[in-house]
Amino acid sequence: MRTRILATLALLALTAAAGPWSVATGPVSAAVEGPQMTSIASLAFGPDGVLFAADTQSATIYALELGDKAGGVAPGALAVDAIDQKIAALLGTDAKQIAVTDMAVHPRTKNAYIAVMRGQGLDAKPALLRVDGAGKLDIIAFDGVKHTKVTLPNAPDAGTNPQRNPRQQSITDMAFADGRLYVAGLSNEEFASKLRSVKYPFASVDNGTSVEIFHGNHGQLETRSPVFAFVPYSIGSTPHLVAAYLCTPLVKFPVASLQPGAKVVGTTIAELGNRNRPIDMIVYKKDGREFLLMSNTARGVMKIPTDGFATASPITERVASETGGVSFETVSSMKGIEQLDLLDVGRTIVLARSEGGSLNLSTVALP
Amino acid sequence: MVRRLWFRPLVAATAVLLAAACYRPVYSSPEIRLVSPLDPKAAAFIEVTGISRAHEHALSSAPPAADGWQRVLRVSVKTEGPAANPIAVAGHYTIADGTLRFTPLFPFDPGRQYEVEFTPDAIAGVPASGTPLATTVALPPRAAASLTYVTQVFPDGDVIPENQLRIYIHFSAPMGRRGGVEHVKLLDDTGREVKDPFLPLEAEFWNGDRTRYTVFFDPGRQKRGILPNRQMGPSLVAGRTYTLAVEQDWTDANGNALRERFTRPFRVGPPDLSPIDCAQWRVMPPAPGTRAPLTVTFPESLDHGLLFRAIGVRRDGEVVTGDVRVDDEQRRWTMIPSAAWSPGRYELIALSILEDLAGNRIGRAFEVVSFARGDEKPEPAVTAIPFTLSALR
Repeated sequence: MRTRILATLALLALTAAAGPWSVATGPVSAAVEGPQMTSIASLAFGPDGVLFAADTQSATIYALELGDKAGGVAPGALAVDAIDQKIAALLGTDAKQIAVTDMAVHPRTKNAYIAVMRGQGLDAKPALLRVDGAGKLDIIAFDGVKHTKVTLPNAPDAGTNPQRNPRQQSITDMAFADGRLYVAGLSNEEFASKLRSVKYPFASVDNGTSVEIFHGNHGQLETRSPVFAFVPYSIGSTPHLVAAYLCTPLVKFPVASLQPGAKVVGTTIAELGNRNRPIDMIVYKKDGREFLLMSNTARGVMKIPTDGFATASPITERVASETGGVSFETVSSMKGIEQLDLLDVGRTIVLARSEGGSLNLSTVALP
Repeated sequence: MVRRLWFRPLVAATAVLLAAACYRPVYSSPEIRLVSPLDPKAAAFIEVTGISRAHEHALSSAPPAADGWQRVLRVSVKTEGPAANPIAVAGHYTIADGTLRFTPLFPFDPGRQYEVEFTPDAIAGVPASGTPLATTVALPPRAAASLTYVTQVFPDGDVIPENQLRIYIHFSAPMGRRGGVEHVKLLDDTGREVKDPFLPLEAEFWNGDRTRYTVFFDPGRQKRGILPNRQMGPSLVAGRTYTLAVEQDWTDANGNALRERFTRPFRVGPPDLSPIDCAQWRVMPPAPGTRAPLTVTFPESLDHGLLFRAIGVRRDGEVVTGDVRVDDEQRRWTMIPSAAWSPGRYELIALSILEDLAGNRIGRAFEVVSFARGDEKPEPAVTAIPFTLSALR
């Protein structure tokens, strides 16, 4: 008996002497499970500071109720030089491994939220960061963030081939207006333009309506070109969406025409030039007039007065020059713009690529 | 009871071991190490062992704010040249049993060097007494992976129409996230690059595992009467030969360039302006009771990607599943069923999304005169071609 006791004690002593056994540290378990995002692309703010974030990898849109995580820091957003290097350092990698996918300004706090993909491999991870009025860069951890979500329906499929890889769609832009979230999407097979509108708060079975959008093109030929940037905008007192397509017609269509299954024909009010992809579009007021500000991959930043939108004649004939329709001016001082959003009444906030290659966050007076 | 010979030494050994387990020196001799758990799902972390009781007590009883932890133990990416105030890698800190542990929010990159600085003097509530430690750690780099290469490009026929809409590029392994329009070139028959033939699109056009990339020709260049066509001329001209080149500097998911540059010559034929006509399809039914393939042939090449989901088989309204193949330059679709064919009435289903090489759909050409739409028939959502498998042969 004593032998056994002593043998047991010896065993325990050996174990204790071996040192504390490593236990994998996990994150502090939160009362609420945060969103399990596999990717992060488009961002858009909704009512009460809800942040919509598109996870295109899993065809899901999350509505993140940031709550406390959105507050407690200096309001506004301060410029940050070489922010790509700073974000990379914070994420434990180098600038070549990160890609900024979108940026949106919180409507109340005016902090800038930046969506980033970290890594180039299939295990690339999404990250959400925030810049505040003191220029402080913080990671918004997904742990414990209260959220709801909606999964976009799969692309049409005859069903016979179950090995089919389901991921075909990406999301190019999102905007919230009047209780609905509008989502513009793009297929990697069909050359088609899909605009989906989903009621928010998300209903459990509502995947939104989907419409195909056509526009009259110069030469009277229709095309199914993809939408890249759009804004909700009232023309007269009628809610519209103004959308910029690839290469680059600017089209307006009334929100009321977005009925499920409908084929909506928009009105082309400007042709802004080819070989170009629109990136971001915002609406702002200056000197009593309203303007669209639109950033592009190849045509700089355009300032488009909206006065003529209601009465603009639709472009159906060929344009004689490279551009046509509603007038616009190119803001030549804004170069290399990769992301753009409205910051406050007088300023826009941009991520611009410098000649040296670094990405700088800066605030620019609205032109 | 008989006392064994080993009894006393065992008691002594136990006593020594127990004492050793309980005792920790007052003065610490910390060490920094990078720990890589055996479980591949567990993230690597950094530990500083040998933390004194006093330091541990100060950290546990009054845990510092995030900045405070970083002043005590700072992990940062090692950069070229001196960094005045390196930004700390974001992560989670714990202190227990004389060990301070840092787990990064995102896993450490294999092969990347991280600088670790332990500054015990930054621990509040303890008289300055510790020696700072600094070291550089790195996980072993990933084993050199074999290089990725282009396996196929579709359409794979020798001739494509002047108004070809898209090209699919298939890779042997997953590619990096960046899109590839800058790495894909169209060369004319003199070897000169055709300027801007493709739509300026990027990361949107990968499939789920990044082994297939879609490149769209700019329809504005190809469409009749459109300004870009008039200004720059079409990208493809019927009767000429072109080469599609995929440059080697396009990086894969491991950051490596492709194994080699890929080229594919092709000839260009006249534009295809007609909608797909299902009446011209030939359906060759298989023998019932077997798992022989159902074969459908088309008079023209159709879009490779869409063929895998826009065509299906139904029996009495139920979907029949199987293994789908496409070959003969995208002019033949075959399906080997999961279960043997039973006799009965079947339908071959074609969805309206199906396109040919020029983007024409069933009953609707890609280019459509839009404003005289009053009498235009709407394109069918689903086209059904019935066929019967009868038991009596």
